[in-house]
Amino acid sequence: MTPYLFLAPGLLLFAAFRLYPLLEGLRLSLTNARLGRASYQYVGLANYARLADDTRFHVSLGNTAFYTVASTLPVLAVPLLLALALNRGRLRNVLRSLFFFPFTLSVVTVGLAWLWLLDPVVGPFNYYLRTLGVPARSWLADPQTAMWAIIATTVWWVTGYYLVVYLAGLQDIPRDLYEAAALDGAGGWRSFWTITVPLLRPVLLFVVVTHVIGSFQLFGQVFVLTGGGPGDATRTVVQHLYETAFQNFFQFGAASAMAWVLFAIVLVFSVLQFRLLRGHTEF
Amino acid sequence: MATGPRRRRDAEGLALTLALLALAVLWLLPIVWVVVTSLKPTENIVRLPPEWIPWPATTEHYREVLFSSSRTARIGRAFLNSLVIALGTVALVVLTAAMAAYPLARMRFRGRHLVFAVLVGSLMIPNAVVLVPLYVLIQRLGWLSTYQGLIVPEAATTFAFGVFLLRQFFLTMPGELEDAARIDGANAWQVFTRIVLPLSQPVLAALAIFAFRSAWNDFLWPLIAVNRPEMFPLPVALALLRGAYAAESYGPIMAGAALSAVPLLVVFVVANRRIVEGVRLSGLKG
Repeated sequence: MTPYLFLAPGLLLFAAFRLYPLLEGLRLSLTNARLGRASYQYVGLANYARLADDTRFHVSLGNTAFYTVASTLPVLAVPLLLALALNRGRLRNVLRSLFFFPFTLSVVTVGLAWLWLLDPVVGPFNYYLRTLGVPARSWLADPQTAMWAIIATTVWWVTGYYLVVYLAGLQDIPRDLYEAAALDGAGGWRSFWTITVPLLRPVLLFVVVTHVIGSFQLFGQVFVLTGGGPGDATRTVVQHLYETAFQNFFQFGAASAMAWVLFAIVLVFSVLQFRLLRGHTEF
Repeated sequence: MATGPRRRRDAEGLALTLALLALAVLWLLPIVWVVVTSLKPTENIVRLPPEWIPWPATTEHYREVLFSSSRTARIGRAFLNSLVIALGTVALVVLTAAMAAYPLARMRFRGRHLVFAVLVGSLMIPNAVVLVPLYVLIQRLGWLSTYQGLIVPEAATTFAFGVFLLRQFFLTMPGELEDAARIDGANAWQVFTRIVLPLSQPVLAALAIFAFRSAWNDFLWPLIAVNRPEMFPLPVALALLRGAYAAESYGPIMAGAALSAVPLLVVFVVANRRIVEGVRLSGLKG
């Protein structure tokens, strides 16, 4: 009996506020439920079928996919390069803390800071670009650059977190491997590809999977920085879901269908990434 | 003879360290800019070229967002709300996760592999997926715009990760002390509260910080679950503060943003090692 008593409070919390909503969402996605309407009917897969014609959903999905793909390389590489540099030099822990600090901020605080920094007229970023001879731009109001500004903001925000993860991973690689490789005449570049990358593979997998799951839920940065604009240029799936359920039409059924499509995409990606990256871990 | 190359390597190391320090300073400039802006009188804020030293300095923006009676500037109240929500979440998560992780690490019983697999699998559930049904549930409970309506779902979200983190730690603890206590007649609850929990303080602290950070910074759930302004937590209040002021009055907005960073800055300075340890455990064993 004892183990079950220990487990009971936590599992109750988890079942009621995590598992039940997940399954309830699947059920709602098959109905025409709306906010504030007591009764509703089952409509089969109609909500899913309607998503196929919802152009705004397609645009949002495309934007989210673009963001995910375009941000993965910088999110993977920037902290890794920093970690490699920090791992060799002095003041490792001080520098690690400095880079980590932005990650302690909320997405709203980060968004407000960058909004002000990128202000087209009085923001310092454009001012310094102008002094370098680059014309000022409304980075967040230009469909060409808005998503890139959001990517830059995100990279700045999360780099410190992945830096800590990478540094821990680098610590676990035995020093003598590098020494042996150096004796065999391998340069820094070669030992990076033959020792660091293979031994860091589980960490790289963790970073990619975590980032991709997070990317598909992009919302806060967009809410603060662009509101989804200009036009629909930075509208994301979660934002569209939020608006469908709580802003314009209060369609809980349709929003739940979006949620499950999102969930399915995240699951497929996670499994694919595990397959792709884990397959090479054994050597 | 050997000093030549070594000295050159030392010089390279020093150059690298200096370059990294410069990069770190550059990296933190957005935050510096927030603080600098928040201390300037309104008429100096939009001046070009940008002035990095806020002189003359003023605390008027802080006073406005903290104490003004205007409907928009309720950062003081939001700050207290966020504290209640974050501390409540920490208490609930640490307690339930520790209790659940203990038998999963230390006892043999039917279903423990299944329970653990479900918990770990749930780490893949995007928060956005449960948004609508969670709202329906909280509404039915009458918990909209209440502290429990924010604390309980927040705790449920962090619970699985907490179990995962603590179980990892409990597995590595030597069993002798627990055995000795049991021989002395202690029951399972006494062993747990008097032996296991005191020995686990570092990892409990790491989980507490993690839970505090996610609850303090969460945005999407409170945006939906709260519709009374006096119950807004900081991120929501800040996001709406931005809409309330004209674009050029960055002063109050930046004061609010700077205030929102303070609690975690304090935690961060005091317990830096715990944070790093927590990230490390969560990252590598994930």
